[in-house]
Amino acid sequence: MSRRVVVTGIGVVTPLAVGVAAFWRRALAGESVCEPLPAHWAAYHRFHSNVWAPLPSRDFSAQGISRVDAAQLDPSEQIALVCAKEALETAGIATRVRDAKKGTLTLEGVDPAAAGVFLGTGVGGATSLIANVANHVATPLMAGLPAEAAALKAHFRAPSRFNPFAVTMVMPNGPGAVVGIRFGLHGRNTTCAAACASGAMAIGHALRAVRSGEMQLALAGGVEYLADEYGGLFRGFDVVRTLARAEGDPALANRPFDAARSGFLFAEGGGAVLVVEELDHALQRGAPVIAELAGYGETFDAHSVMMIESRGVQMERMIALALADAGVAPGDVDYVNAHGTGTLLNDETEAALLGRVFGDRPLVNSTKSLIGHTIGASGAIEAAVAALSLRDQATHPSANLERPIGGLRYAREPGPANIGCALSESFAFGGHNAALVLKRFS
Amino acid sequence: MPDQQEIFDRVSKVIVETLKVDREKITPASRFTEDLGSDSLDRLTLLMQLEDEFGRKISDEDAQGLTSVQAVLDYIGGQGA
Repeated sequence: MSRRVVVTGIGVVTPLAVGVAAFWRRALAGESVCEPLPAHWAAYHRFHSNVWAPLPSRDFSAQGISRVDAAQLDPSEQIALVCAKEALETAGIATRVRDAKKGTLTLEGVDPAAAGVFLGTGVGGATSLIANVANHVATPLMAGLPAEAAALKAHFRAPSRFNPFAVTMVMPNGPGAVVGIRFGLHGRNTTCAAACASGAMAIGHALRAVRSGEMQLALAGGVEYLADEYGGLFRGFDVVRTLARAEGDPALANRPFDAARSGFLFAEGGGAVLVVEELDHALQRGAPVIAELAGYGETFDAHSVMMIESRGVQMERMIALALADAGVAPGDVDYVNAHGTGTLLNDETEAALLGRVFGDRPLVNSTKSLIGHTIGASGAIEAAVAALSLRDQATHPSANLERPIGGLRYAREPGPANIGCALSESFAFGGHNAALVLKRFS
Repeated sequence: MPDQQEIFDRVSKVIVETLKVDREKITPASRFTEDLGSDSLDRLTLLMQLEDEFGRKISDEDAQGLTSVQAVLDYIGGQGA
């Protein structure tokens, strides 16, 4: 009989809160984040969108990120460490110091050769690349200017040094590498770069590695950091009109699956890391099991790098693969954590897909309606939400659903739900589709 | 201008934080590589942290000569913190 795989720990960083307990409490209450853009971005461009979802803070010192870490790790790498640390703590895995000088740790009761890391990211350390290139370009330019050119200097907002750790801050495998180093894990350390499906894909690949016996435990999830000093990454999404625009109250701008939706809400960043563990390994050490990770399906549209394929053919096949992998039928699925971005095309395609496969039976919500779109982290945060919903038999409402589309059974009010099986699905720029099936643990 | 003791205390704090050595091990005569066990990456980290602590840029040329605590004290004291 094939091994069963469970989720035993969760760590999150989201615009709503840093830390899983605070995030989940606020999500269940239906709280959301949507704020005006940083004022200084207006110096560079007049954007079409006018709102985003910032993180509560970029200072993670309270979560164990030292001053030295902060100076040489990209924010996405810091987020990965914060999430991994919390995931291990909630999984009840103790650590001891391996090398005090390097700040590295060893996991108690875990064979390091049988433990790996699977992290997803969409843009890697793009914000560090932008900052260091700004220094690189601006420094010689500024040296030739008179002191009166202070306004121009301010316009560049360039950091005062070219960071000697620029390469390891920029590389997309950085988050996975720093987690593997910090916790001394010698199993496979894989980075999944599949835009908005990165996080789901990483967890899916972790499931397969643990189920196959390659490892007993994996730290799996996704991280992203999307803000730069200039709104340059924001502009990349804005220029193709994918982002939500507030007409009046910003709190009403982010409305996935509503007829009046205008695009997705750009998030500053976020992350989620799950401890994905072989069931017997978890039971033997008395771990708290949050949910069973039961199935994974992945397909590729081969259609367009920018647009999803509107008939959803490969998305439907993805769901079929994921359900078959989990040994369940469409009628068993009680809850779908939708990709639910809030773009016109995604939500129309996805609502039709869900109606076609599941009818109006399962509860549906969009976590992006609360925290915006964290790109490479989103699939992991949403898998975390699915796991917590199964554990607590309750999920969060989907915000701003006044005129819902597609005739689905949306979660609109906070409250308990009877959830035995959940599907979390992600679709990505590029054409990647990834879905996870989770079950209530019994 | 801060006195020598204050500069030494602040430099020592940065060294403890960066190189994870005991405060008692640090004297003005301490050499970063031979006495405090730092490698080339530690040196880079240390220079960044000194820049942040004293709010100034250390050029690559100047950095070459900063091989001991005393050299750092002279460099910072000499430029007026």
